[in-house]
Amino acid sequence: MAEDTFLDDDFLRQLMSVGEVDLLVGIPSHNNATTVAATVDAIEECFRQNFYRDRVVIVNVDGGSKDGTPEAVLNAAVSQHENGRGLTSLRTEHCVGMRYAQPVSTGQLYRTLLAAADLLRAKACAVISPASSNVAPAWIEKLLKPVYREKFDFVAPLYGRHKFDGLLGRNLLYPMARAVFGWRVRELHPSDFAFSGGFGSYCVNQDVWHEEAIGASAETWMAITGTRPDFRICQAFLGQKMHAATTSGSDIVSAVRDAVGAFFWCMESQQEIWTARTGSEAVPTNGPDHELTIQAVRINRKRIFELFRTGASELETILKSVLSPETHAEIQRIAALDERKFRLGGELWARILFEFAASYHRAVINRDHLIQALVPLYRGRIYSFLLDHQESSPQEIEDDTEALCLELERQKPYLLERWNQKG
Amino acid sequence: MADSDDKLWYKDAIIYQLHVRTFCDSNNDGIGDFTGLIQKLDYLQELGINALWLMPFFPSPLRDDGYDTADYLNVHPNYGTLDDFKRFLVAAHNRGIRVIIELVLNHTSDQHPWFQEARSSRENPKRDWYVWSDTDDKYKEARIIFLDTEMSNWAWDPISKSYYWHRFFSHQPDLNFDNPAVFEMMWQVMKFWLDIGVDGFRLDAVPYLAEREGTSCENLPETHAIVRELRHRLDAEYPKAMLLAEANQWPADVRAYFADGDEFHMAFHFPLMPRMFMAVQLEDRKPIVEILEQTPQIPDSCQWCIFLRNHDELTLEMVTDIERDYMYDEYAKDKAMRINLGIRRRLAPMMDNDRRRIQLLNILLMTMPGTPIIYYGDEIGMGDNIYLGDRNGVRTPMQWNGGWNGGFSGADPERLYSPLISNPVYGYQAINVEAQHRLPHSLLSWMKAVIAVRKSSRVFSRGSIEFLRPSNHRVLAYVRQLDQEKILVVNNLAASAQAVELDLKRYKGHVPIEMAGGNLFPRIGDLPYLLTLGPYNSYAFRLRRF
Repeated sequence: MAEDTFLDDDFLRQLMSVGEVDLLVGIPSHNNATTVAATVDAIEECFRQNFYRDRVVIVNVDGGSKDGTPEAVLNAAVSQHENGRGLTSLRTEHCVGMRYAQPVSTGQLYRTLLAAADLLRAKACAVISPASSNVAPAWIEKLLKPVYREKFDFVAPLYGRHKFDGLLGRNLLYPMARAVFGWRVRELHPSDFAFSGGFGSYCVNQDVWHEEAIGASAETWMAITGTRPDFRICQAFLGQKMHAATTSGSDIVSAVRDAVGAFFWCMESQQEIWTARTGSEAVPTNGPDHELTIQAVRINRKRIFELFRTGASELETILKSVLSPETHAEIQRIAALDERKFRLGGELWARILFEFAASYHRAVINRDHLIQALVPLYRGRIYSFLLDHQESSPQEIEDDTEALCLELERQKPYLLERWNQKG
Repeated sequence: MADSDDKLWYKDAIIYQLHVRTFCDSNNDGIGDFTGLIQKLDYLQELGINALWLMPFFPSPLRDDGYDTADYLNVHPNYGTLDDFKRFLVAAHNRGIRVIIELVLNHTSDQHPWFQEARSSRENPKRDWYVWSDTDDKYKEARIIFLDTEMSNWAWDPISKSYYWHRFFSHQPDLNFDNPAVFEMMWQVMKFWLDIGVDGFRLDAVPYLAEREGTSCENLPETHAIVRELRHRLDAEYPKAMLLAEANQWPADVRAYFADGDEFHMAFHFPLMPRMFMAVQLEDRKPIVEILEQTPQIPDSCQWCIFLRNHDELTLEMVTDIERDYMYDEYAKDKAMRINLGIRRRLAPMMDNDRRRIQLLNILLMTMPGTPIIYYGDEIGMGDNIYLGDRNGVRTPMQWNGGWNGGFSGADPERLYSPLISNPVYGYQAINVEAQHRLPHSLLSWMKAVIAVRKSSRVFSRGSIEFLRPSNHRVLAYVRQLDQEKILVVNNLAASAQAVELDLKRYKGHVPIEMAGGNLFPRIGDLPYLLTLGPYNSYAFRLRRF
């Protein structure tokens, strides 16, 4: 593929000095100065505890931070080397970095990491988000070991969550991925994951990096790619993930746009694989495949419902072009209900998702607009979920998720029908 | 050749370690002897070494390869006579080769007349020359060194019905240096050999000379006091004689044996040795740089002795558990290669007979700070035989040629003190001095050349060392400097070609001259100095200003 180089000379020089490695841990960063040092510490601690014989490197790719994140990474690495006591690695521990002067897409950060892994011929690679405030050495070990020791190609994370955390995954990505691609992988939008050298090489050499969907959520594409028949995927339970206090929290519009955009793009590009699959299979999992806590979380349900109702009304024209008349009518009906009686159940939600996916496939409207039009409906689904599970136990929530997954699997023929519709 | 009047001759020495028994048999009894050794001195002179370290050659029951001395003032009849030794000494000196002999101060054989007297009755005047006890409870904090064979540091003597102390094998009772008569006797032993003309002593098992309750019985102040007194007498009467300590300890502990330059002249740097092997296997300079950075400064008159292999196992006492496991996994996959806390293999087989790796390790040996010791046979890449028991696999006869008994002896092969290495790869038919002597590119010829480079500058033997820290960890680079003379050494520890950028700004304007070939390299400027090195390649550059 003819393309400009995207690794600068200084970074290449650093990679040249590192040479071939066994393990690479990448830290894609952007304004994470408050937490990134702890992330580096955890990675180096993991190296010392578990991989002290192996050739290791930490690679920081920074997307134009203004808060000194790259410097914090290097300072943390230097301080670790100078103050390390007791157990130490047999080898030189490298920490190298590439810094983009201006903000770049997360896809570009991942692509740079993948290129570094490819050039260093890393056997196993992990990506760790510095946005978490509680990265533990065990996380890195749990992600790397299945690749390094058990020859898996992709390790998706599993987190302990409070019951209203991870709603995009629980209500959309996981059920969709399970029904469409046929694999029960919970985190399709992972910020911490691991992959093999071969998998990384495959990804970096795909002609996808110019795609907007990949730029926005390459990790989703990578996780779905991990389910391809030529790769082995597994999951590793990492524990509870805490977000740094300084992060702004998830912006639903961009989260849905990024993750669902990448998901639909993967459906489009991998249809030869998933259209032939039926049912779903569990993937090997290290640890529990879910863990919910019921601690109280304040969520402004009323606001969510208002945004749903407003969106459903304002986007009526778009929704009409995307959805079947029956589905659209049903949305109109429930949008008119009193908020206490409102429900957006699994059967309707499955239809909405599949009709959106099919419309994306047929490009009935601008794809970006299409995905954005899904956001208010997603809000409606979340509002319904929150109403249903105010008092639910973790098991009841898990049962509900399972029911939703089965509903999507049941309706997969409908998806195929819509997908293959002409015009 | 260094100035023969130089009191610091040991700093410029290149020591060759051998056991008389292993080198050359002149009377066809299957055992090497001093007359045979004399015949081979020309070879050693041509090799370029300028000091010999002879392992114990005293009368002994030979239950520990001579480290079980039964008479300190004579030569074991297997190896000749005292007169033979004197002839050897003159011949060596005539060739500019100094002679360091081994002295086991810490213990004797249980066959030594002193011990025989001591055990004969509790009232015997020699009784107090050894360490006795009615129980085996004392000095519990002292570790057992030979874990594979000994259960305790005490052994029961059925004759005098008491326990005697031994830090090594139970047939090697420790002398009691708390008894002034023992010290005086050992000083007389040293004087005996110094008067004959030996140039120095390698004192065996030094840390263990004294015992005190509640301690590890190692490196005690009382032990240092003994050494200081020996050195004091030595300086007064034999100012050019040298003491070399065998103290298998961490550098910080060994440092104490240099004291203020008034104990030992030299001591082995035990922790460096395994780390050189580790660095090559890891393809990472970290182990070497780390241990040398932890190595304390020593007085100007003192020197470290460095080595790759010797007559013992490659000791792994001075490494961490993690490092030891790694060394075992990489260099002693076959359990038969392991003994005590170490690896009983020679250099060439450990390097899988890879000539490049053998050379790399020898370059490190010749260019690192310290006096290098070459173990006999390693200069031609001799192999080992791990099935010979104990550490005998690295003590097989020297391989001189491809003929009868490898040129070592005219005896029947069955009569040799040890079978020769005879496998197709390392056997005497394949690896021998005569064959390598004929070839200008043999390992032997290369060793002569590298020794010549080492001897061409005192920077190597007396200079400081400063590590460069290129970002490529597979490259170990350092500058040795003595006064205005500077030598840059660059080693690629990896099996693959490497590029390295060296920060040589402070040497701007200097021209590197490669020492082996004398070729000029580009002048050093402001930019990082780029070098490319082939697998396991090394360069030594003299930095000259023109």
